[in-house]
Amino acid sequence: MTFVETAILAGVTVADLLLVAAALFVSLAVMMLYRAILGPTNQDRVLAVNVLGTNTVVILALLGAALGEPWFLDIALVYALLNFLMSIAISKFTVERGGVI
Amino acid sequence: MAAEEAPRLVVPVQRSVTLRQTVDYAMAEVLAADGEPTVHFVFMATWRGGDPGTDADRDRAEALLDQIRIWARYECEEAGVNPETIEIETALIGLESYLFSPDEYADLLTSYAADHDLDRVVVDPEYSLVGHTTLLQPLEFELERSKLAIEEAPVDRPTRRDRLVSRPNLPRFLALFGVSFLFYQILGGFSGTFDLVTGIATAAIVAITLDSVSFYRDPTLVDSPKRILRGVVYVPYLLYEIVVSNLVVARLILDPRLDIDPRLTKVRVFVGSGFPLTTLANSITLTPGTLTVTAEDQELYVHSLAPFAREGLFDGSLERWVRFVFYGREAARFPSPRERGDTEVLQEPSDAASTDADESGGEER
Amino acid sequence: MIEAIRIGLIVVAVVLGLFFTFVSATGVIRLPDVFSRAHTASQADTLGAGFALAAVALTLGWEPTTVKTVLLLVFIFVTNPTAAHAIARAAYEEGIEPWTTGDERR
Repeated sequence: MTFVETAILAGVTVADLLLVAAALFVSLAVMMLYRAILGPTNQDRVLAVNVLGTNTVVILALLGAALGEPWFLDIALVYALLNFLMSIAISKFTVERGGVI
Repeated sequence: MAAEEAPRLVVPVQRSVTLRQTVDYAMAEVLAADGEPTVHFVFMATWRGGDPGTDADRDRAEALLDQIRIWARYECEEAGVNPETIEIETALIGLESYLFSPDEYADLLTSYAADHDLDRVVVDPEYSLVGHTTLLQPLEFELERSKLAIEEAPVDRPTRRDRLVSRPNLPRFLALFGVSFLFYQILGGFSGTFDLVTGIATAAIVAITLDSVSFYRDPTLVDSPKRILRGVVYVPYLLYEIVVSNLVVARLILDPRLDIDPRLTKVRVFVGSGFPLTTLANSITLTPGTLTVTAEDQELYVHSLAPFAREGLFDGSLERWVRFVFYGREAARFPSPRERGDTEVLQEPSDAASTDADESGGEER
Repeated sequence: MIEAIRIGLIVVAVVLGLFFTFVSATGVIRLPDVFSRAHTASQADTLGAGFALAAVALTLGWEPTTVKTVLLLVFIFVTNPTAAHAIARAAYEEGIEPWTTGDERR
């Protein structure tokens, strides 16, 4: 029996806890779509997508731990890098009015 | 000196850390001469006049030129010369077109100089064309083709090196190699010979190609570890601050009344440009309630969510910590921005007096 | 015993992570303008992610992969405020006026 299969209370294991947390993180990420769609400014949208991306990274990490797939963390790492680059590139694009990076 | 013709200078200007010194140098050149010396300070616009959204850019440029006029007059008074005897002009040029490549800047400057019969260019060594890279070399190169004499103003830079790209050297190479190799090994999970060999190859490629742009100053065996150690001391303090003020902000946001009072403020900080300034700006952003919006030279525009955050910012504990991390214990004994008078709240609540808000709103652009 | 403490810490970290992410989401939806939204996006969200990743690190235990979690944590702490700053700066340069008390809600 591995650690994630240890029961916390009444048959609920650590893995269950992490999965529930991941599900809640997903619902919080979905809340961000409200801003991403409604705006009103472009910056609001970028901001919302940035928060959504951070949540995705966390969800990936939680799933990786819960399901015993540590390579999920590599994907999370790459996703975090891309998420950061996305925000910077779009912000830069709007500031320089067309001059990218 | 009488044999020499009076200098007729043109100085391209832009907000930079060494601008003041460049202006001083140009003024000193002019003030030392006989006859009717002339100096023109020109701002080359990177945008096109009349485009939507460029008003703020124009206002900023005008404000900078105003500032330069004040400096120039001040230099005249210092030297005991009547400002009327010298022709000091400021101009905003290049509004008719977008400027892209260095030769377009050079052409614009050359034609301006020809129109006003100017024959010498004084450039600020920190002058850059687009704002993110130092493109002075290409500009100088393009100007060589014209008849204008070119000269760089002799300035002391606070922390920046001569060029963004500098000659490669061993400490930098080793530091970058070490960091990338370690990163590679962490990703690979320290798993055997194959990773070791590919890691060395990858780290070497990274270090060879990027070591000339990766550091602001050379890492040394004495200072760099000290700085890292002091940074390690700083992190727990920062984390504590983040957690504590996050709780306060969480209460503000979850409160049904949403009792916030956001303002834009301006703080002048003294930490040196480059990495220390980045660290400070990021720390300010990480501490809830304050958000660095933009930095001009050493002036940070900080958006604050509530009065408690503004007070904390003006107390300057983060600034002192960053000074401690980068310059040591002595540097941390430093008056707070409030004591120095380097703070400014740029906005008033708009229901108090809307006309006042409009006036102060004009200044913050 | 040690196991119990470890599980307790994981539960606390997960709950705190969820709480701060919830604060961040609420802030991004409730607050009046892009500047104040950037506050919660950079701060509460960073802390929330920090706690959640701490829970992951605790679950994985003392293994090479845990280093990646720590790396991820450091990375998020550096990049999140930078991204928020870039977004706020873009908004500022575009001429968006920060909201103050008394203005209409947007």
